Amino acid sequence: MSGALQALRQAQIDWRLVLMGAVLVGIALIFNVLSGGIFLSPENLYNIAQQTAVVGIVATVVVLIIVARHIDLSVGSVMGFVGVLVAYLMYTGGWSWPAAALAGLAVAIAVSLYQGALTAVLGVPSFVVTLGGLMSFRGAAFLVADGKTQPVNDEFFQRLGGGYDGGIGVTASWVLAGLMCAALTWALLSKRRNQQRFGVQGNPLWLDLAVLAVPVLIVLGFAAAMNSYQIPNKDAPQGIPIPVLIWAAVAIALSFIVHRTRFGRYVFAMGGNPDAAALVGIPVRRVTLMLFVLLGVLITIAAVVSIARLNAGTNSLGTGMELYVIAAAVIGGTALAGGAGSILGSVLGALIMQSLDSGMLLLDVSIGKRMVIIGQVLIAAVVFDVLYRKWTGEQ
Amino acid sequence: MTAPLVALKNIHKAFGGVRAVDDASVNLHPGEVVALLGHNGAGKSTLMKMLAGAYPIDAGEVLIRGEKAHIRSPADAQELGIETIYQTLALADNLDAVANLFLGRELLTPWRTLDDLRMDADARKVFARLNKNFKNFRVPVRRLSGGQRQTVAISRALYFNARILIMDEPCAALGPEETRMVGELILQLKAEGVGIFLISHDMHDVFSLSDRLAVMKNGKMVGTYNTRDVTEDEVLGMIILGKRPEGKAQAERLQAEGPRRRTHSPYNPADR
Repeated sequence: MSGALQALRQAQIDWRLVLMGAVLVGIALIFNVLSGGIFLSPENLYNIAQQTAVVGIVATVVVLIIVARHIDLSVGSVMGFVGVLVAYLMYTGGWSWPAAALAGLAVAIAVSLYQGALTAVLGVPSFVVTLGGLMSFRGAAFLVADGKTQPVNDEFFQRLGGGYDGGIGVTASWVLAGLMCAALTWALLSKRRNQQRFGVQGNPLWLDLAVLAVPVLIVLGFAAAMNSYQIPNKDAPQGIPIPVLIWAAVAIALSFIVHRTRFGRYVFAMGGNPDAAALVGIPVRRVTLMLFVLLGVLITIAAVVSIARLNAGTNSLGTGMELYVIAAAVIGGTALAGGAGSILGSVLGALIMQSLDSGMLLLDVSIGKRMVIIGQVLIAAVVFDVLYRKWTGEQ
Repeated sequence: MTAPLVALKNIHKAFGGVRAVDDASVNLHPGEVVALLGHNGAGKSTLMKMLAGAYPIDAGEVLIRGEKAHIRSPADAQELGIETIYQTLALADNLDAVANLFLGRELLTPWRTLDDLRMDADARKVFARLNKNFKNFRVPVRRLSGGQRQTVAISRALYFNARILIMDEPCAALGPEETRMVGELILQLKAEGVGIFLISHDMHDVFSLSDRLAVMKNGKMVGTYNTRDVTEDEVLGMIILGKRPEGKAQAERLQAEGPRRRTHSPYNPADR
């Protein structure tokens, strides 16, 4: 028993993530009781999952922005601008959706390069640049279609946002979930093999298996829940919604970038010590610009998912999203001082924010009260971050 | 007659209206330790940062092995075999020791991803050579002791085969045992033909480790002397008053001489 405790203490486990997971479970259980079992119904879980995807996609990259000691307050406005533009090109301009999405991507990258260059090359604080952008690009979103809502009718495109035809079906869901579990198992096995080869002391086998069991059970449980949600007038269950798949792909891709590429390492080095990063020869400006370009790419993906889900581009698309995104990043363990953060954490953070919002909506909490509470949750997350770092002696 | 390893000629650098480095020249030869001395703000760190590529040079020439070098970035300097151990150590506190050793020069797999296994294995060897007690190189370096952090910073110069080494106050934050380790390392690198610029305020370090010393004041080079030719008081006079000692020959060493007599060393009692 004491051996087990010892192993737990030394284990390479991110306890903060575990804590946030527990908070999410707690929130879900409380809302489930208060709503009389509706919150944890497959239908509600399906909706929460697809609603969280947009915030979640943007939050993954905002983690990196904050890690590199920058901030982006304009993500909601830029997403609105790009979203309306894509919808406008499709509806009023008659473009095909891939062409419109690529045009949106080009504009998003141009916007990101503009804001990134002001920050990286001229050294204007990103807070100021993107605070201006928050206003400007909301205005631009209005100007694109003169404030008119642009409907989106392409059926394939609509599926990208989830909704009625936006699930991938039962079989595909089980196959994907199975592949995911296999990949997780393989990753663990290769980690243990390498630890053995290089004589590194790793976790004991039972602990590694327990750590593996958690994500495997979550993936399988999620697939089961999505596969048991059937819209009444359809003859098959929905399965995993497409926007959630896009979000998962984005999160995996960014985790890969963080852990396996030079770019990811440089972002963290710049956040940990900008002076040192420059002195050892890291091309700080180029990395910062690339980071903003990456942000532009992910904002476009989020914009596409977002207008596909709403079946329309409106000039208010993404209003207030910056708060949700930053809150998701901070709740997930991203330090506002830079240098620390994780992609997986942002996934949890986004789910916590969305669960709070949806849960209160389910309980008929008025919009005013919801805004008051969500705003304070962001502050609570930062307070927790500050205290947690004091307790654990980091920084 | 060979050209010096490093020749800094008439270097100028101004920040705003302040002339941080004003027409300074100094040479460095293989296997030589040249101490740079002066008050805070005398310009010695700025001069070295230009050689390391951290600051652009306003005017003047840098010759490396007799050839004109254009050092515009730290990466350019690294290409030329110039490694720098900064007083601040230039460590990313949130990354571990291995990541810091390879920072900016990561080893990659054929798929252009980080080759963590190879970096880990190589780092172990270098750390073991420098400090046998240093084992916890998988934790963020902010949790390491001063000596361990210094080990990480020095390991960069060692791993990447520095031919020209700049050490800015390498012993300022170290205990006696670690100071001795740095001293031994300097002698070892010197024997391998590495040229070392040593910035230090510690007169004992300067007199025990350097072959020559160059004193700066207000951005100008006061003088360059063989360390064995001058006394501590004369050096202090140059640092504080900018006054050259009378009757002592300058030793700018524009060309390499024949084999030099080993200078005094604290590790060789016969020299003292």
